[in-house]
Amino acid sequence: MYEAFAVAIVVFLTVGGQELLGFTMLGRPIVIGPLIGILLGDVKTGLLVGASLETIFMGIVNIGGASAAEPGLASALAVAFAIKLHGGLGVALPLAIPLGIIGLQIKTLLYVAVVGPFASRFDSLAAAGKQKQIVRLHFGLWGLQWFLYALIPFFAMLVGSGATQAVLKLIPNVIVHGLTVAGNVLPAVGMAMLMKILWDKNISVFYFLGFLIVAYFKIPLIAVAVMGFIIAILIAQRDMQVHTLEQKMSTVAAAPSTSKPVSKDEQENDAFFD
Amino acid sequence: MSKITSKLDAAEKKILRQIYWRSFTLYSAVTPAKQGASGFEYSMLPVINHFYKGHDDAKKAAMVRQMSYFNTNLAMAPFIMGVTASMEKQNAKSKDFNVESINAIKTSLMGPLAGIGDSLFWGVLRVIAAGIAVSLAESGNLLAPIIFLLLFNIPVQLVRWYGGQLGYTLGSTYIEDLYKKDLINIMTKAASIVGLMMVGAMTSSMVKFSIKWNMVLGGKTILKTQSMLDQIFIGLLPLAITLLCFYLLKKKNVSLNWLILGAIVISVGLALVGIV
Repeated sequence: MYEAFAVAIVVFLTVGGQELLGFTMLGRPIVIGPLIGILLGDVKTGLLVGASLETIFMGIVNIGGASAAEPGLASALAVAFAIKLHGGLGVALPLAIPLGIIGLQIKTLLYVAVVGPFASRFDSLAAAGKQKQIVRLHFGLWGLQWFLYALIPFFAMLVGSGATQAVLKLIPNVIVHGLTVAGNVLPAVGMAMLMKILWDKNISVFYFLGFLIVAYFKIPLIAVAVMGFIIAILIAQRDMQVHTLEQKMSTVAAAPSTSKPVSKDEQENDAFFD
Repeated sequence: MSKITSKLDAAEKKILRQIYWRSFTLYSAVTPAKQGASGFEYSMLPVINHFYKGHDDAKKAAMVRQMSYFNTNLAMAPFIMGVTASMEKQNAKSKDFNVESINAIKTSLMGPLAGIGDSLFWGVLRVIAAGIAVSLAESGNLLAPIIFLLLFNIPVQLVRWYGGQLGYTLGSTYIEDLYKKDLINIMTKAASIVGLMMVGAMTSSMVKFSIKWNMVLGGKTILKTQSMLDQIFIGLLPLAITLLCFYLLKKKNVSLNWLILGAIVISVGLALVGIV
């Protein structure tokens, strides 16, 4: 009972909490893992499994409301089961992936079916100038939505742990080994997601530079970040110089001909504000 | 800070502080139809109440106006709110202000700023913070989650705090200026460089895959596959796997869930036949 409460409250305060507190990243596996670990009395497992799940879910972010999984519920339950069943990533991983997908489905359902219908209510309250009711509804819907969401981990912990244990016992060792291998390969998917956001042909060499310096020189990540900043500043300075040079060139070239009333920059701005 | 807000009176400074705090809750009650409309309204209420004091009809009109579709990156939201607040102020002062321009500017800022914010804060900053925290957590450091939250949130909160002030004092002309100077593109490129280098570094430190299978002839191991691969290039297989995933995601539009499922199935399959 205590465990079910603890996990449900963690999900409510982190996954729900970050929606109230401006996506402050409270609901990431690296935060939830150790938190569950402290509450269930095994900080080390929480920390390690949380870190592994963070790398797996690294590429999964909520962009414009679209996502592929909800890592918060998945990591809370997976870490809790890993602690209860005295397993590591081998227990957590086969649970985390399906839970992440189920979590997202339920989150979407709540968002469409519970909060969604109130959109018109907000409109009519605004038209009537009822500020207090708007504020109350704004926070009330938050509480309702995440209370309902937190019921899932509560009941999953209450009824699920015996069943999960029975099922996990049936899995042969070689498959558990395969799942551990999968856990080490899956960060590749997360990295690929991030590359999709950041990749650009002109700067793609820096990806390989980052890989090389860690593979061969074993440089810690913080040093890589600082090196990246130095390179980025140098390149930004060069880009600024090129840009001012280009502007000078274009003003010199455009000066004799007064027949061109719209410069390229103005055209771009027009398109932007259309 | 004193530089940015030096020309504002006490009430305006208070409004900007309220925008900063209230905009935390932007996505508390997200609806499919209007996304963060109620959060935007909640953040703008101090602005509306201040500038339309005593004009009930204008106040209601402003409330309806601000309860409109809003969706952007959270770190960028206060900046847009600042710009919107400065336009509401102008609207309250002058009679011939074009009211429609308020939502037009607001909408035109949402898209580009969401793009910059998502790649800057989600793509780069969060990845750096998580990468550092994960390596700390793996060595058993309990401060890992706290360091993660601080590394991510300190820059984000600074952008949120000063963004609102900048948006309000500089108004809608500012963003035009940024585009004119091409600053946004240069900044996005610089940030992407840091991000890509980090992703490359993390590919090396986090993606692990090694082959156990060796070529055996007459009871003698004649080829140690993994050490041979390491001699060619350390981390060749993890790099190849990551690039393959990237290729499938970007060029073949394979969905993320299929990719995850595929990675699990193939790993288990390779374990069954004893290759890994």
